[in-house]
Amino acid sequence: MARGSSQSQQSTSTGSSTARPGLAAPRGSAAATAGMRRRRLGGGGGVSSGGGSGVGSGSSNMLRFYTDDAPGLKISPTVVLIMSLCFIGFVTALHVFGKLYLHKSGSQA
Amino acid sequence: MGGGFRVLHLVRPFLAFLPEVQSADRKVPFREKVIYTVISLFIFLVCSQLPLYGIHSTTGADPFYWMRVILASNRGTVMELGITPIVTSGLVMQLLAGSKIIEVDNNVREDRALLNGAQKLLGILIAIGEAVAYVLSGMYGPVGQLGVGNAILIILQLFFAGIIVICLDELLQKGYGLGSGISLFIATNICESIIWKAFSPTTINTGRGAEFEGAVIALFHMLITKSNKVAALRQAFYRQNLPNVTNLLATVLIFLIVIYFQGFRVVLPVRSKNARGQQGSYPIKLFYTSNMPIILQSALVSNLYFISQLLYRKFSGNFFVNLLGQWKESEYSGQSIPVSGLAYLITAPASFSDMAAHPFHALFYIVFMLTACALFSKTWIEVSGSSARDVAKQLKEQQMVMPGHRESNLQKELNRYIPTAAAFGGVCIGALTVLADFMGAIGSGTGILLAVTIIYQYFETFEKEKASELGFFGF
Repeated sequence: MARGSSQSQQSTSTGSSTARPGLAAPRGSAAATAGMRRRRLGGGGGVSSGGGSGVGSGSSNMLRFYTDDAPGLKISPTVVLIMSLCFIGFVTALHVFGKLYLHKSGSQA
Repeated sequence: MGGGFRVLHLVRPFLAFLPEVQSADRKVPFREKVIYTVISLFIFLVCSQLPLYGIHSTTGADPFYWMRVILASNRGTVMELGITPIVTSGLVMQLLAGSKIIEVDNNVREDRALLNGAQKLLGILIAIGEAVAYVLSGMYGPVGQLGVGNAILIILQLFFAGIIVICLDELLQKGYGLGSGISLFIATNICESIIWKAFSPTTINTGRGAEFEGAVIALFHMLITKSNKVAALRQAFYRQNLPNVTNLLATVLIFLIVIYFQGFRVVLPVRSKNARGQQGSYPIKLFYTSNMPIILQSALVSNLYFISQLLYRKFSGNFFVNLLGQWKESEYSGQSIPVSGLAYLITAPASFSDMAAHPFHALFYIVFMLTACALFSKTWIEVSGSSARDVAKQLKEQQMVMPGHRESNLQKELNRYIPTAAAFGGVCIGALTVLADFMGAIGSGTGILLAVTIIYQYFETFEKEKASELGFFGF
């Protein structure tokens, strides 16, 4: 019993590590690294690889438009969040200044 | 690659200008993923409540009234467009790729990059187009009253909000978050809608006096204040024009049915060629394409509504415009509802009695739902790279074979299950949507289906991430 559970745990972790190198491989790594990855892939257990495929299948069923790197204006996730918050601040500022402007014109009239 | 000219190459000059979230170059910890997801959701929710600057009024008829929740948009706010641009561009690209108008080889890296760029570019163009259409159609008040400055400001706000939604979705998908942004936003909106209809403290004046909008609140309020308990109970369960307890129970029932169906799958045994004795399995679910058919069907319907209303407002006397759809103001909600034409036929009947009164409408709607979901489901597996050929290729790369089958037969074996699961799963999704609509589930059948499948996926993702983290820890 104990052996079985420990084996399954090892398989799970191995599967996780196996899946990632597999995903990384298509990005044209060096031959030596590719060889090492291939060896690691070979060592992977059946259960783990099956699980990996399941994960891949599951994720591919989600609405995924961006799966690969493409040439473009590179921005980091932090920049995305900061840009969004700046936009929110900008629109809020528009409202504030808009009300101030109305107030001034109102008082003038 | 072939030397011939290809449509996708038109996109190449624009790629340099499109914002591109760089992929995660390392394993992002689970807690960090949760943080990114929560921040993205926070940004989305704030944008959903932030009013547009410069709008004159929002009292006009709302063409998206019935699809607001599903498209994650809010009237008169920065998030007016919601996820419409990104979902519509996905729909268009799917149709083009699926029908081979655009040649895409998913095995070629450049093709995938071009396809992604094309989708993003199309999403941005749709955001601009819809923003301009909104302003010019008088959605925010007559253009003359707005002024040129305000009109341009509104368009810029909507455009930039569209960019933000696209970037947030890409952020989550590139490995920094959980699942996809679109699913997250849709599920949040639908859950918000359901909770509001169940527990809203807002009072609305009806013929019977002031009543609470929330079904649960109204139930307890009636039981406490009414002397006749039986009549109070009956009214709480069956009142019209407001959420009632029957609607709530129907919603819960649909949730349970969908969760039950999630467990349906065919498990194919696989094993490694190298490590002898290692056995595994590759599950093919009934809901193979998950909620994709519903999302695409919703995008199709909402765009048809938009076009139909726009045309009807301008050319209401034209025969073809009338054939597409005729609209009139609803007495209850003050919104336009389709009363004839194609737009009416693809609208869910309001109730069982309405279905009995108009059998052709009900039949057309059911056939449309089932057919559209099945077709979208089947096409999507090709576009998303989860067809039998793609799966066979993945398994081969991982040195996996099926016991008792030669390697060359792997694709043939998968072909027996995957297309059937996709099409039949799509039909089941459509059928459940129709069932939910007829039972009067809170929100809409489409919304319920989307919410349940999305939440289920998040639970699955959490389980896998936890297992992965524990595995690393144990390792």
